[in-house]
Amino acid sequence: MQIDWLAIAPEIVVAVTILGVLAADLVLPRPLKYWTATLAVVGLTLAVVPLILMAASSVETRSLFEGSYVVDDFALVLKGLFLIAGYLVVLMSVSYIESDRYYQGEYYLLLLSSVLGSLVIASARDLIVLFIGVELTTGPLFMLAGWRKGDIRSNEASLKFFILGVLSTAILLWGMAMLYGVSGEVRFDQIRSALADPSPAAQPLVGLAILFVLVGFAFKVSAVPFHFWAPDTYEGAPTPVTAYLSVSSKAAGFVALFVTVYVALRDRVDIWGPGLWALAALSMTIGNLAALRQSNIVRLLAYSSIAQAGFMLVPFAAASVAGEQLAEGLAATVVYLVIYALMNLGAFAVVIQGARRTGTGDIDGWAGLGRIDPRLGVLAAVFFFSLAGIPPLAGWFAKFVMFRAAIAAGSAAATSLAVIAAINAVIALYYYARVAKVVWFDEAPAGAEPATEPPAASLALTLGIAAVATVVVGVFPAVFAVFGEATRVLLASG
Amino acid sequence: MTVTAGWYMTLAALLFGVGLVGIFLRRNALVMFMCIELMLNAVNLTFVAAGRAIGDLEGQVAVFFVLVVAAAEVVVGLAIIVAVFRQRASASVDELAELKG
Amino acid sequence: MTLADYLPLALMGILAAGFVAVSLVASRLFSPNRPTPEKLAPYECGIIPETEATQRFPVKFYLVAMLFVIFDVEIVFLFAWATRWLELGWYGIAAAGLFTLFVLETLVYVWKRGALDWNVKTSGPLPA
Repeated sequence: MQIDWLAIAPEIVVAVTILGVLAADLVLPRPLKYWTATLAVVGLTLAVVPLILMAASSVETRSLFEGSYVVDDFALVLKGLFLIAGYLVVLMSVSYIESDRYYQGEYYLLLLSSVLGSLVIASARDLIVLFIGVELTTGPLFMLAGWRKGDIRSNEASLKFFILGVLSTAILLWGMAMLYGVSGEVRFDQIRSALADPSPAAQPLVGLAILFVLVGFAFKVSAVPFHFWAPDTYEGAPTPVTAYLSVSSKAAGFVALFVTVYVALRDRVDIWGPGLWALAALSMTIGNLAALRQSNIVRLLAYSSIAQAGFMLVPFAAASVAGEQLAEGLAATVVYLVIYALMNLGAFAVVIQGARRTGTGDIDGWAGLGRIDPRLGVLAAVFFFSLAGIPPLAGWFAKFVMFRAAIAAGSAAATSLAVIAAINAVIALYYYARVAKVVWFDEAPAGAEPATEPPAASLALTLGIAAVATVVVGVFPAVFAVFGEATRVLLASG
Repeated sequence: MTVTAGWYMTLAALLFGVGLVGIFLRRNALVMFMCIELMLNAVNLTFVAAGRAIGDLEGQVAVFFVLVVAAAEVVVGLAIIVAVFRQRASASVDELAELKG
Repeated sequence: MTLADYLPLALMGILAAGFVAVSLVASRLFSPNRPTPEKLAPYECGIIPETEATQRFPVKFYLVAMLFVIFDVEIVFLFAWATRWLELGWYGIAAAGLFTLFVLETLVYVWKRGALDWNVKTSGPLPA
């Protein structure tokens, strides 16, 4: 059997790293356990190398296993995103996990497994491969969410996440089984041609299958009205895991959804288009309204990430209800996804450091943080204003691309979605700015001393990378436009 | 009238429905968990029946993977329930209400 | 086999369910209800039960069951390979070998961490 080894090299590197971390965890004495983190970082870095080689090579699409596993530019961009996000989360976790003093090796093992799953999702063009990818991404996260075993809140986060996660898996699988039943195929391109003209008797089944697939994925990306597990899980889980949940696992769910509907179900856009429209509109509105009432910073970010998921869906949903320019809509959504990932990881790194400084997750407890620790205060302002979409930070470009694509789609439904998004962008500004206001303009509690102790080196590195990316992309969005174009061109051919 | 794939799929749909209703009605984590297993097995039945009707092996291949993933999920779920039980001595999800808002 | 052939089975099922329902309802309707402590006890004669039957088991049973389920089900992939191993050739052997390596390493891990030792007290974190 002929196999393009370079195409699956990133997955192989991560898998070997997983084996290595497991072995290292076994042989290392406890004081040296932090080497497992080093190993994880090295592995994730090495996995980027084949991605760069593939991006530089002239082969545009590599297809493996009879088309079940495809590495095109779309997959390359997203694999890059997943690896970088995984890298940042590992860095963020080092000092956090070390203070818990146990199970360090297993933590990185599970995190790497989840990253491996998302790498698989980006390339999956087959129901079975996609299912494996989705499960490999979320399975380890059930355990990571309950990492602080002695903390009842962490247990609760884990149990809620688990039951709803497995429920969504069952619903998703039911949809997949019906898709297989009506089309007789598991590969996406074959499903598409089989569904091109199904028998009239199978029509209701096709609709039902698509509905179940949509609902299953909506759970995974915590889109309203399937979001209720997210805030509780986010609050109870360890903060680096929450960062991972709100960025990588959400992005992986989105990618799985896009690949399924775009490649396999493109001709039935009349069924899933309105569904996406509703998910986008509801997620933005409900997420934002709930975020307004939050007093805990992690819950605020949880609802904000639900709202951001709505924004993310806007271009693709607008294009699909309009029924044209689907590729452009998807490209805009992917650009938004990548930018959101970077700035949201930065925001969570700020939360970790801020909670350590002030000893609380209450937003009001952060009063005067800007004066106690000016650097952290500046970073908090950068990431939260970027999430709000203020120029010249990366978030504005994401919003700009989103509105441009939504308006370009042209139909009345698409334009109304753009209007809903605009109203929500204004609401979101209020609660993001509130954090900056508390940090900079409220009086620090009496007795607060200026910070002397610097943050842990690994956390500082995370903050630095995310901040530089947020500012550079905001000032020179052309960097990203190239990225987005690549996605658009290759998806159009696929 | 012969027993066609349609009947198997109807049975699977019923099983799936029983599982789904069970999740929303029962409050014991273990029982909810069994309901989910019921749903996953309904999916397996659908895959096998569909594969058989079409004369295609991929449905059965899918069942392999669903089975293994379901087993892995059983283990993760039991581990989480044990962890909760050690803190609470109860497996009722209603008593878990630390996180609100 | 046509669906008509299942008719006796279906009748049997209906009959069985009907019998159960009728006897339950009838006993509820016609029997006098005079409970006494002896009647409400689980056993009217014999040893008086001291604890609930649903007592807590040592968590090790769970642990062993979980490990068994995992390692048991993983083997299913090898069956699929074994039916066609000749056609799959060296590629198949390499893939199956790699898979076995992954499973083996986790087994070694579980073993070394003491999850298979029955007589060790496992409350609290496992020894690292």
